[in-house]
Amino acid sequence: MSDAAISRAVHPWWASRRLGFLAAALVIAALPMMLTGNYWQTNLTICAINVLLALGLDFILGYAGQLNLGQSAFYGLGAYVSTLLITRLGVPFWAAFAAGVAFAGLAGMILATFAVRLRGHYLAIASLGFAVITYQILLNWINLTQGPLGIYAIPPPPAITIPGLPAISFRNPVALFYLVAGVTLLVYFILDQLVRSPIGETLTAIREDEVSAASLGINTALWKVFAFGVGAAVGGAAGCFYATFVGTLVPDAFFITESFTILAMVIVGGMGTLIGPVFGAVLLTLLPEVLRGVGDLRLMVYGAVLTLVVLFMPGGLVQAARVVGARLGLSR
Amino acid sequence: MTATIVAQQAINGIVLGSLYVLVALGLTLIYGVLVQINFAHADFVTLGAFAAYFVMHALGGQYLLGIVAALLVGAALGWAINITVFAPLRRKGNELLPLIATIGVSVMLQNAMLAWFGPVPYAFETPYSQKVFRVAGTFFTLQSVIIIAVSATTIALLYAFMKFTFLGKALRAVAQDRETAGLMGINPNTLIMLTIVISSALAGMGGAMLAPVLVLTPFAGASVIVKAFAIVIIGGFGNVEGTILAGLLVGLIESFTTQYLDPGLIDIVVFGLLLLMLAFRPTGLISERREENV
Repeated sequence: MSDAAISRAVHPWWASRRLGFLAAALVIAALPMMLTGNYWQTNLTICAINVLLALGLDFILGYAGQLNLGQSAFYGLGAYVSTLLITRLGVPFWAAFAAGVAFAGLAGMILATFAVRLRGHYLAIASLGFAVITYQILLNWINLTQGPLGIYAIPPPPAITIPGLPAISFRNPVALFYLVAGVTLLVYFILDQLVRSPIGETLTAIREDEVSAASLGINTALWKVFAFGVGAAVGGAAGCFYATFVGTLVPDAFFITESFTILAMVIVGGMGTLIGPVFGAVLLTLLPEVLRGVGDLRLMVYGAVLTLVVLFMPGGLVQAARVVGARLGLSR
Repeated sequence: MTATIVAQQAINGIVLGSLYVLVALGLTLIYGVLVQINFAHADFVTLGAFAAYFVMHALGGQYLLGIVAALLVGAALGWAINITVFAPLRRKGNELLPLIATIGVSVMLQNAMLAWFGPVPYAFETPYSQKVFRVAGTFFTLQSVIIIAVSATTIALLYAFMKFTFLGKALRAVAQDRETAGLMGINPNTLIMLTIVISSALAGMGGAMLAPVLVLTPFAGASVIVKAFAIVIIGGFGNVEGTILAGLLVGLIESFTTQYLDPGLIDIVVFGLLLLMLAFRPTGLISERREENV
């Protein structure tokens, strides 16, 4: 048998993984054509932003095992830092985007450095405290953020001009969806590489048993800071896109309940997998839209679903799919 | 003049702080026996407040009966969350799942209340808020006297219960070492149930007395609970004396921040203190065992 054949036999998933990314790219390309109209295209972009948020939290919670209730803060920091750089200082969009992502990631690392000795519940409360402080700062630092009045008329990303082709303007909602979804797919790819590398194994070792991991010579503090940095930066990217997509910013979009919503997406999808939170985010974004009748009870549905999933199917949709797959005799 | 203002704010701070103590003690007691956090504790506070409001109005201004109703509602909610969430998840033995499940319960309860009671604040005027005493230039209402008296009595009773009764000693034994306590013939399940019911009753009662001080909306409890979290961490999780001290401290910080800085900064000051405590003294004001979470 050739090396390649052995490799294929040992890693049969490699081939299908590439196929999976190709299929995902095709689905993303096809979605705006199948679901036309402003209403659906708006929802598609919100789905993509929420997937990004859920992926960031899942990296911290599902892989490193750290319960981060501060994702709303990183989301808000990414949104406000990038927007203020664009509207106040006239910084170009992509530079402001990079700054927003970097700022959120750095904030995550600083919080983790503070909280790195803490585990489980203490970390949950420290991160919740961070989210409360961030929200209050956004609300009260009126000279900078305009507080509850909000920031208006945030421009879309600048048009991309490729010589010989018509310019791609992001005032077009479909183009903006392709941009956000494309970046989300890229983030998924990077995270997928990360979690299947030795780094991913290190993080899961910390999640399963921090003391044993430390006794094997793993610098657990360093890796937790790393996981927080990556997850928070991804949350920050979602914030940048949110600001430019919605066009207005108010602190209430980043209240601590947003952290719980993102948590529900990760748990419902299946934490500790990357594909789970993608479906969790899409499901919980579209579910209230499908159930238009419940109206204001949107968040009540989130809460109920979150509790029921933890109680009866803690592996989320991924676990449900495996159970169904096993029943149908599809799994290995 | 300044001395009067300081005295006045000290009184306000202690009134508020003693209510925070009631709410935070519940969290700390549950953490002591179960090593879990009940996120829905906040909503038990709010539901207690609404129970007191409706009972008081139904009975023509019987505020004290409203407090009793809130206590019973809290106890019932505690019983319910134990049999639906904590007991089934304890068998699975994951440390984060119960916390996440109670976040779900909290989101659900808050939005159910929003649908039921609406977002408009309820004016909770008790017959005692009108009666004002004046002592040496400071004001306080009969309401605040009742708050101090009820919370001080409750805290003293709880303390005596924990220290001197067999059940209280058994409770502390479970908190120290659940398995060994089980070997000594103590049924940990019963005691965990008892602790959650007592803690939730405290939350409901705290809500009944907080509501006239705060704005009564479906989110009233949520604004209190974030401070209660700060209090239990500043006081040291599972540490009753530390929680009482920290609760009063946070009440005082709140009233003096309102006076000398800006009410919008309260959360920032309290949580700044929380993060500093976590960074430099994570065992709390009064150090005890319990190093395992640090």
